Amino acid sequence: MLRLLRLVSWRHMMRHRLRTLLTFLGIVLGVAVIVAIALVNRTLTGSFQRTIDLIAGKAVLQVENGESGLSEALFPAIRDTHGVADAAPAVEGFLPLVGAKGEKLYVYGVDFLADSSIREHEFVGGSFTLDAALEFLARPDSIALTESFSRRLNLPVGARLRLATSRGVRDYTVRALLKEQGAAKVFGGSFALMDLPVAQIALGKEGKLDIVDLTIESGESVESVRARLQARVGGAAQALRPRERGEQVESLMTSFRVGLFFVSLVALFVGFFLIFNTVSVSVIQRKREIGTLRCLGILRRQILSLFVLEALALALAGSIAGVGAGFLLAQAALYSVGQTVNSLFFQFDAASGSAGFAEIAVGLAGGIGIPLIAALYPAWQAARVTPLESARQAVWRPRSQGVSRATLIGLLLLLLAPALAVVSPSGLGGVGKFTLGVVAMMLFLLGLSFLAPLFVSAWAGFFWRALGRLPPRAGFLRNEARLACDGLRRAPGRAGMTIATLMISLAAIFTVAAFVASVRESLLHWVDRMVTADLVVHAGAKTAGPLNVPLREEFGAKLESIPGVVVVDYYRLIRSNYQGRPIMIESFSAERSARVRTLPMLSGDGARALRDLAVEKGVLVSESFQRKFGKKIGDAIRLATPSGPADFNIIGVYIDYSSDSGSVLIERSLYKRFWRDDLVDAFDLWLARGAEPESVTAAINRGYGDEYQLFVSTHRELKANVVRLMEQSFSVNYAVEIVAVVVAIFSVINTLLASVLDRTREIGVLRAIGATRKQLRGTVMAEAGWIGILGGILGLIAGGIMSYHHVVYNTRFLTGWSFQYYYPTEVAVLSLIASVVLCLIAGYLPAKRAAAIPIVSAIGYE
Amino acid sequence: MIRLIDVRKSYTQGESEVIALAGVSLEIARGEFAAVMGPSGSGKSTLLHLVGGLDRPSAGDVLVDGKIISQMDDDAVTLFRRKNVGFIFQFFNLLPTLTAIENAALPLVLDGRSEREANARAEALLARVDLAARRDHLPEQLSGGEIQRLAIARALVFDPPILLADEPTGNLDSKTGAAVLETIRAINRDAGSTVVMVTHDHDAAARSDRVIHLRDGRLAEEIP
Repeated sequence: MLRLLRLVSWRHMMRHRLRTLLTFLGIVLGVAVIVAIALVNRTLTGSFQRTIDLIAGKAVLQVENGESGLSEALFPAIRDTHGVADAAPAVEGFLPLVGAKGEKLYVYGVDFLADSSIREHEFVGGSFTLDAALEFLARPDSIALTESFSRRLNLPVGARLRLATSRGVRDYTVRALLKEQGAAKVFGGSFALMDLPVAQIALGKEGKLDIVDLTIESGESVESVRARLQARVGGAAQALRPRERGEQVESLMTSFRVGLFFVSLVALFVGFFLIFNTVSVSVIQRKREIGTLRCLGILRRQILSLFVLEALALALAGSIAGVGAGFLLAQAALYSVGQTVNSLFFQFDAASGSAGFAEIAVGLAGGIGIPLIAALYPAWQAARVTPLESARQAVWRPRSQGVSRATLIGLLLLLLAPALAVVSPSGLGGVGKFTLGVVAMMLFLLGLSFLAPLFVSAWAGFFWRALGRLPPRAGFLRNEARLACDGLRRAPGRAGMTIATLMISLAAIFTVAAFVASVRESLLHWVDRMVTADLVVHAGAKTAGPLNVPLREEFGAKLESIPGVVVVDYYRLIRSNYQGRPIMIESFSAERSARVRTLPMLSGDGARALRDLAVEKGVLVSESFQRKFGKKIGDAIRLATPSGPADFNIIGVYIDYSSDSGSVLIERSLYKRFWRDDLVDAFDLWLARGAEPESVTAAINRGYGDEYQLFVSTHRELKANVVRLMEQSFSVNYAVEIVAVVVAIFSVINTLLASVLDRTREIGVLRAIGATRKQLRGTVMAEAGWIGILGGILGLIAGGIMSYHHVVYNTRFLTGWSFQYYYPTEVAVLSLIASVVLCLIAGYLPAKRAAAIPIVSAIGYE
Repeated sequence: MIRLIDVRKSYTQGESEVIALAGVSLEIARGEFAAVMGPSGSGKSTLLHLVGGLDRPSAGDVLVDGKIISQMDDDAVTLFRRKNVGFIFQFFNLLPTLTAIENAALPLVLDGRSEREANARAEALLARVDLAARRDHLPEQLSGGEIQRLAIARALVFDPPILLADEPTGNLDSKTGAAVLETIRAINRDAGSTVVMVTHDHDAAARSDRVIHLRDGRLAEEIP
């Protein structure tokens, strides 16, 4: 078989180098996207867990309560729990380094005496003597940096550095250097140790702890100690193994990661059609050769194996190259995705991510498996070629049976797709329903693809007749365009394959575009209703989230004193847990801002909800929260607060796109009482009528900008930031668009080249009876144009239906968010034009080749 | 050697049924050189395809050496064809990407023979048809006569007892055609192969032992 592969297949590939190269590149691209996304997903999954593992040291259990923290007063009870050997309290947070753009330190505040039993902090030799250690603890400005950070920013022992803390910029002195081991390895060495009380002040967490790391006594089981701890802390915190804690936080990103996976699935699907198209065209074109081989005694199974092996060889080569390209692509994607994760979920340590064989295996499996599956049907068709093919003189024969069978399959798939989308078994989670929805979309596309030959027949038949009625002076339309219709209607299967590929590529592009447009418009609309403030002030970052430094509430008074400011409200956003799953807790003071604020509600009146919130009647939950936890207005929810578990009544459901894990909105006074937290992530400012936002911004920056490392955004700038964040998070999607476009171009070139080769004799005859080279070029170009128009129209129809389903249903299943569907009209028009233009460009080479065919050899061609 | 018993073959073309053979019974003896003649559409090529196992009859039986090849499954008839039937086509049907020696050796490659054996056999056959010097040329680099001689070499690679030729001179000039016919005749005479040749050319038919006339899917002598 290998000899046959070398003799027959290899020679064929070499003879059609361009087509082989295009297919090879298609596989490389597809595999590169799959590998890159798998690598990104792996890094996302692994990075947080690795950070937790490194910091956790010897800890087997960790008591924590998300960003809500736990009361310091609970520590003795935790430490003295039966079975606990060592307990080390800590607070953590990121603080920007003043004067060094983009530099942030991950500050870990520990009780040095207790911490030594959990973590081994290794200090650089000689620099941390007992005297130095005592001085470190005695001075409230002490900080220990890692060796690499110290070297990189030239901050040796004794150097001073300024950090933007919750109380403004503060000076610290480097009093020790850490070897990059254990916890000090996280975030590429941007790690600092502080004494616990110093860190608590810097991070605004006085009287609170973020975490208590525990080891247990030998002979004790982790589960029994955990149960005792849980009983002691009540609902005020949770005791988790480090791995569970990592998983819980990482589950924040489930939708994001599933979304990324969906993107690679689309790339796979589009790639599938490229291979299917290539192998099918190859079979059609080589029918005569196959027939000859059959005459000479090759068995059906040998033909089948030959075509499958041929696809396999190409797939293997393409996959290996694709894995390499995927690693490169992943570097670019990780940068962009890392930015998103940093802004939306948690500080992402890209350096701690690692790529394993799994990603390579996924890429190779996709790159080899998909072409193999795609090649099976055409290979089976090749095996069905009879020896008589070699004796046939005409390439074309009526194939009505094939068309009707494809039509039947297509119709069945079209019926199955909505059935699958409608039937979603109860108990199926959001990810499950999303997956079912995606499968339904794929089936829908497959169904349309099977119907493509029927569409081609009908379309080309209609225009063949219609153009025939034009007067002879209609020239191009009457002749070349009509001849092109004839070519299409005589080979609806071949043209149908390309049109299906084009349709799928375009549908993928359009779905991504419509999805992005819908999310963008919905978000902007939401921002308009959710953030009515004229100015929003953050410290350390442009938006509230993992990047900003929360400030103390007192700072609000300073803002209030600035001329032109009439209302200042305090917004706080923290990560917490509900029923073991991460949620976000938002708070602001409706009491202060109800008269100037609006609230987007899923149902009900926003103004009334704000009034109820202000008098602490209960809390509002987001749409995602309502869907994920099955709660409704009137239900009570029990939240873990630093004051212990507390029940809150749900008084309304609001729209919130800040986190799909679900949010609870609490009046600030209530929040402060239970959470014992007066930090503020964003100060919302409403200005007096006539006050200029620019001058107020300048006044804020002049007075406090440097001291607090402030970012003041106008409403318009905030919207621009939201759009930037959103586009950043969708950047990987654009990779699929590129794959789709490339695949579409490859497919059209492929088909038209095959079409020209198939019709060499016919082209020769046309030339013999008087067709000029220009007319022949025109005919092939017209065929490309028809393919572009039909593929474009079908792509837009399929894309319209798919994108609606994806935006309205799939996204809601996955995230719990409802987005308003926006039809991107401009993209639709541009896609249709691009489809035709790209096809015309792709058709140029085959057209040139057709025109260059010498008449005599073409007529004798066989 | 070859026996057709009331063989019928019909095709569906569009909505109408075309009868290619309407009940043909005949025998061709071992070593016989039979020419099949008749107007276009008379069923000549269909008859050849059925004898070579390229197609199956709609009714009736095709027997070769007592074996009913029309009832064999696809694998069996393919293996039978590989070793027992050599084909020579009007349009040569060579693989354009393979050199002369590779084309000639292809049936042996399909049979799993070693490269050395296949090449040695192909080389000998190329020498026999006077193409030894052109062994590494692609078909497009050969003349019409050389291409057909290469096709003959390929057909003989297994020394098949049956040689089927469909208009072997149809695409050649008269001089080259005559040379090709002489080669076929020599094979029939020297190797004792049974030859069935479809032709329109009376001069070509004249070189055969027997001429079978077909008209409208029947043997001409059977037409009342």
